[in-house]
Amino acid sequence: MRTVLLASLRTHTRRYGAALLAVVVGVVFIVVTAALSSAVRDGLVAGIDEPYAGADAVVEKPTADEAATLLAAAGEEGADAWLVGWTMQPVVRGDDVVDTSADVGQVPAAADRRWQDLEEGRFPSAPGEALADVNAAKAAGIRVGDELRIGSGADALEVEVVGLADSPSAFSSASVYVLWEDLSRWRDSLYVSSVAWAGGGDHDAAAAAVRDHVPDAELMTVDAFVQHVQKEVNNEVDVIAVVVLLFTVIALLVAVLVINNTFAILFAQRTRDFALLRCVGASRRQLVRSVRWESLALGATAAVLGTGLGLGLGHGLVGLVRAQWPGARMGHADVGAGWLLAAAAVGIGVTLVAAWLPTRRVVRVSPLAALRPDDSTSPRTGAGRRRVALGLLTVAAGVAGLVAAVATGGYPVLMAGGAATFLGVLVLGPVLVPALVRAAGPVTGRLLGPAGRLASGNAVRNPRRTAATAASLLIGVTLTTAVLSGMASSRSAVSEAMDRQHPVDMAVTGAGTVPADLVRRVAAVDGVAATAPVRGTTARVAGIGETPVLAAPALTDPDVRAVVHGDELPAPGDGRVLLPWDELGDRIAVGDRVTVAAGGRELTLRVAGGEGWGTAALVSPATLARLDRDAGLQAVWVRAADGADPEDLAGSLEAIAGPVEAELENGLAQRSYVDLQLDVVTGGVVGLLGIAVLIALVGIANTLGLSVLERGREHALLRALGLTRRQLRRMLAAEAVLLSVVATVLGSVLGIAFAWTAVQAVVEPAVAGAGLVLPWGQLALVVATSAVAGLLAAVLPSRRAARVAPAAGLALD
Amino acid sequence: MGPSGSGKSTLMHCLAGLDQPTGGTVTVAGRRLEGLSDDELTRFRRDHLGFVFQAFNLLPMLTAEQNIWLPTELAGRRRGGRADERSDLRARFDQVVDTLGLRDRLRHRPAELSGGQQQRVAIARALVGGPAIVFADEPTGNLDSAASAEVLAFLRRSVRELGQTVVMVTHELDAAAHADDVVVLADGRVTDHLTEPTHDRLVTALGARAA
Repeated sequence: MRTVLLASLRTHTRRYGAALLAVVVGVVFIVVTAALSSAVRDGLVAGIDEPYAGADAVVEKPTADEAATLLAAAGEEGADAWLVGWTMQPVVRGDDVVDTSADVGQVPAAADRRWQDLEEGRFPSAPGEALADVNAAKAAGIRVGDELRIGSGADALEVEVVGLADSPSAFSSASVYVLWEDLSRWRDSLYVSSVAWAGGGDHDAAAAAVRDHVPDAELMTVDAFVQHVQKEVNNEVDVIAVVVLLFTVIALLVAVLVINNTFAILFAQRTRDFALLRCVGASRRQLVRSVRWESLALGATAAVLGTGLGLGLGHGLVGLVRAQWPGARMGHADVGAGWLLAAAAVGIGVTLVAAWLPTRRVVRVSPLAALRPDDSTSPRTGAGRRRVALGLLTVAAGVAGLVAAVATGGYPVLMAGGAATFLGVLVLGPVLVPALVRAAGPVTGRLLGPAGRLASGNAVRNPRRTAATAASLLIGVTLTTAVLSGMASSRSAVSEAMDRQHPVDMAVTGAGTVPADLVRRVAAVDGVAATAPVRGTTARVAGIGETPVLAAPALTDPDVRAVVHGDELPAPGDGRVLLPWDELGDRIAVGDRVTVAAGGRELTLRVAGGEGWGTAALVSPATLARLDRDAGLQAVWVRAADGADPEDLAGSLEAIAGPVEAELENGLAQRSYVDLQLDVVTGGVVGLLGIAVLIALVGIANTLGLSVLERGREHALLRALGLTRRQLRRMLAAEAVLLSVVATVLGSVLGIAFAWTAVQAVVEPAVAGAGLVLPWGQLALVVATSAVAGLLAAVLPSRRAARVAPAAGLALD
Repeated sequence: MGPSGSGKSTLMHCLAGLDQPTGGTVTVAGRRLEGLSDDELTRFRRDHLGFVFQAFNLLPMLTAEQNIWLPTELAGRRRGGRADERSDLRARFDQVVDTLGLRDRLRHRPAELSGGQQQRVAIARALVGGPAIVFADEPTGNLDSAASAEVLAFLRRSVRELGQTVVMVTHELDAAAHADDVVVLADGRVTDHLTEPTHDRLVTALGARAA
């Protein structure tokens, strides 16, 4: 049998090409995931300990006030303390806004505590000097000697960049570092990830010293802290890797269908060979063993190719990222032997599983089949009644699950219901897909004439094969459509939430009354669609200090209506004051009564929370009039034009706001950031699903290619009877397009249905009134893409088929 | 006629525009075939020729009726064209189907027909377009003697009653005996040419070559 096996492998190698490709893509996917996640992990973990070198204790996540206390105490006790933390502030150079929200961190004053790696210039030694991150500086074009203004309003700080430095770790990196004397002015908005304490010589002494000042500090040794952070990093990377591997599983599932179909078709074509082998004395067992070895050889080849290609691609990608984006903190790729073995095992396993059923069918070949005329092209019966019943039952169970999920909002029920429905549709495939193809048949007939009519006949002649081919594409398309529709729906739900959180795109709020022509100047800025003037005064709010107090505008004012997103605007009643959530905290809580004083008048108002208009308090117009009878223009609210760049617009407005001591609130940046995140998630998911779709298209090309081989004589007959080469090519292309479009339309319908149930079950309870929003453009693109891809899949097989001369085709064996 | 390997099928492929000769000329119905492009040949075949092959004559997914209409459909004559042409075609279809006794088989697929019935469908298909010549390549090769006789009789009737020219390739004496004109081939050369041959003369012609 070995001679037979080897000869068969030699002869059929080319026909296994597509199946091989499908497995290889899956294996490559696994190995590349492993390479990228190892490099990301390496990059993130590297240098975590360096900022804490020489420290005796680390305080984890203290409040900004606690951190300030510790830094002050260290000076008194002759110890050293420094913090790793950030505040987000706008950075301006001259009239040019470098960054509307840059992270500003601390550079320790003591020379031996500076953990930043200096690359150019020197470390700051006095207030008013700053160290810039070398990557951030490169991106923004900042050089040593540049004068920057950090922050806005009263807290703005003028600094000179005296040096450029790199951070040893992603967890301590900031864009600009200043001394604590300068940084402490933003204590209110400072997030502190950790404070390092050096002094006392050992951990216990240091811990005792820290506890003296901050009794409930979360204290750790440096080693414990570093391990703790590393563990968190590992967990995060693991979660991402698992998510990506989930898509690998989907891709491999599609690969199973493609391989299964390949084997089924190849074995059907080789029925006579098998029968002949049985005639000359091969036992069933020998035959099965021979074809199983064949599939093993295929799987092993794919595993070797896949791991090799995956390693090359993974290392190449990591190297590319490191070379192109040095700031991306990509470490070195290190794919462990375990990963390689697992990837190879998965490749081989998938192949064997996919080949199992078709090889079983080989056993049933009777020796007599060799003597009968070849009937592999005659139509086979499609689905039995049992299959239809089973399919309908599964779909019914699945739909019941989905309905239950909508009613209860249960996540597991939703998943199970969706999976069951999809499985049922797959089981019904041999009935459903041909029926749909037949329904679409008249359209192709009208468009392409006889070639189109023949194509729709060809597409349904082997229902199982058709269904299996369509199923592979169905998986990818259903998931893609579901994700696109789900994302569009979430986006619209999120956008409503954003309307509430950021009712205005930008708010320019003065520290005092601003010049009356500010409104006109703001309105003249490119990218501003509408403006609304807001009156106010400056008042002392007990527990907060000097703060602008604005009269809450009313939505009935057409100017305000044109500026505000959504239909809601916080409207404080008389005797109430709305304070931004950021200002509320330990000292003031919602429901408290606070005194608000302006120009000698004093009022006691009840506190409520809100956000979206910047750092100002909102009161009713009547309350404002009681505080300050002469309240003037204090703020301008801005609606950005559609598509305006938040950074550019903020830069232009900052240039106007800066000279009049006004602060800029940038809600548009938040809005576009959320949009960007949704775009990234959608793009990422669709990209990952794209691999499954790619494998499915290889499968369509493969089925068509193998069917073309099988139908050689038929094509020759058609050519003899008057089908031109072009008609033949068109016929095969139409068959592929019919298949892919039917699979895509079915997939889209399923995907939209799943998205609808998911929105009802998961999004609706979270965001009331959220409904299904269909991204028609994207859905049309999916259908068009798969039609074009079907056309492409037909190119090679149809060219090969058309090349055969009719006489040569008739003489085919 | 001639034995296996004598070049009968190759000659027929060249005559029918299925293959291009390496030398010499082919003229069918006044048209020179050598030098025509593939598309021109294809169009010539579907407009002027009919074919009956030994096996794989019919498309498995089409019914007998659809198979019969196939060449005219490919040529766009069945659905396109003038109304009177379409009614002519229809009349010829009815005549051919009745002559071949296929009326009650039209809705069957090839797998549901016997070998003889399949060949009759193929003959109907070849005749329906009113071709200049019908080429039949071993049309009885896969049939038992009763079915063979039936198919040969039908071919004969189409010549007599429909005035159809039929060129048949065969290695069977009985089949050749149905012809008006027999060219005997051996090893790629013409060895004899008989008109209105009897069985005995055919045996002699083949025997002379064998001797």
